[in-house]
Amino acid sequence: MKRAVCAALLVAALPFSALLTSSAQKSESVAKVSLKVGDTAPDFTLLSDQWKTVKLSDFHGKKNVFLAVYVLAFTGG
Amino acid sequence: MDSPAANAAFAKQISIKFPLLSDMNKKMLTSYGILKGYDVESQSYEWAQRANIVIDKNGIVQHIEEGDSAVNPNNALSVCTDLHKKQSAK
Repeated sequence: MKRAVCAALLVAALPFSALLTSSAQKSESVAKVSLKVGDTAPDFTLLSDQWKTVKLSDFHGKKNVFLAVYVLAFTGG
Repeated sequence: MDSPAANAAFAKQISIKFPLLSDMNKKMLTSYGILKGYDVESQSYEWAQRANIVIDKNGIVQHIEEGDSAVNPNNALSVCTDLHKKQSAK
């Protein structure tokens, strides 16, 4: 981890996977990521898998951050 | 959204060495505009789309990749490498 170029953070999101396979009618509204390159990233405070609070601002001036938003972490999807 | 306990099980399963974060109340996902809305039988649901975001030491967004192409982290990694090189050269 010391040699890592970036501190990697993974935000795991488990969607309502049952709905994905539903035959019910559904419509999508694709929301583009509203952030743009050059914007200041909004700070966040989230709980890690070790139940510790992690803030984006913890890395300010120390490390670059690679934030991966990961969906369907447990499903192989 | 996965709970810290679910993430802990996943982290142990595949030996992850970096923090796995939970956004249970979707605050971060909302502020970053990563949520995608679906309407199913008159009900509205939202969940996150895949995204890779690189933020530099000053808190400035340097790279955003979303959707299917974000499954591959190589572009984000090369941005990290370039950032590191630039910062080391200073």
